[in-house]
Amino acid sequence: MTVKKKIVIGLFIGFIAIQFIQPARNKSNSILPTDIEKIVAVPANVSGILKTSCNDCHSNNTQYPWYSSIQPGAWIMASHIKNGKAMLNFSQFGELSNRKQQSKLQELINQLKDDEMPILSYKLIHRNADLTPAQKTILMNWAASAKDSLSANN
Amino acid sequence: MKNIILGLAVLTTVFAACNNSSTDTKDNTTSDAQSTNMTVDTSANKVSANAETKATVSIAEILSDYLKMKNAFAKDNDKDAAAAGNEMLKAFTSFNKTALTPDQAKIYNDIADDASEHAEHIGANAGNIKHQREHFEMLSKDIYALVKTFGGGQKLYYDHCPMYNDGKGANWLSETKEISNPYLGKAMPTCGTVKEELK
Repeated sequence: MTVKKKIVIGLFIGFIAIQFIQPARNKSNSILPTDIEKIVAVPANVSGILKTSCNDCHSNNTQYPWYSSIQPGAWIMASHIKNGKAMLNFSQFGELSNRKQQSKLQELINQLKDDEMPILSYKLIHRNADLTPAQKTILMNWAASAKDSLSANN
Repeated sequence: MKNIILGLAVLTTVFAACNNSSTDTKDNTTSDAQSTNMTVDTSANKVSANAETKATVSIAEILSDYLKMKNAFAKDNDKDAAAAGNEMLKAFTSFNKTALTPDQAKIYNDIADDASEHAEHIGANAGNIKHQREHFEMLSKDIYALVKTFGGGQKLYYDHCPMYNDGKGANWLSETKEISNPYLGKAMPTCGTVKEELK
């Protein structure tokens, strides 16, 4: 056996081995009382956009595609979800102070305006997650009015 | 054969490392919520430690970092703004809360929790002044509320720039009566008006 062959076989065995190690799944079917839908009004069209383009990394409930179980992809995805939720988690939005809720909604608007979200690597794999300009406008207008309603509550 | 073992060893290390981070995700839901409380707790401990040495409410340090940041943005200097952001983050954690009434402490914690995050983003985003300024706009609201509650200890001007953010406008605090616009920087240095004088 040549050295090259040995390395290839070694990598292949390793690849098989890591398939058995799967990270914990970000999946919760209950809607928490802290969910954003319980804090501000979320119309059906906005809710739909959040589901397809945002909630995979910004809520406690990820829609996993079949290939997300193939390692090392599952680890990469788990790390994206972790980072995404650390910045903004719609499932636990109600845990934030009113002031912070308003900041998060403003950041949401800013990120969309600057074309920062959804991130490129996510859009490449989830083609339907990419937002059209019209969808972006819907989201931004919603966030702006949700922010106003929070500011009025304060 | 050596190579196979080596290959496996490398892979094992890699996935052991990755696996650690992925187990973190499990408790992520709770830890996210707790982390903010924890920061507050640590600062509270620090405060009680030096309670005897100083017991006056002063936001001077936070304010001075804010003004440094504002002046950096007016000169389009993302690096100095980031440095001021990191300083401000420290100022928030070391803020002396012993002299605060429970109501004041609540207001302070509320503002500090939000403002620290903006300071952190500004500190971490040298090279992306656009993003820094977005956070500066939100931070300015927090600092204004802080000054309104605790007093700035110096004469301040609350300025308004009507052009920033596609005409939506934005405000900032300044120590000088002359306008020096932190949102548009060198492109429109004198754009803006004084909305309010704070003493």
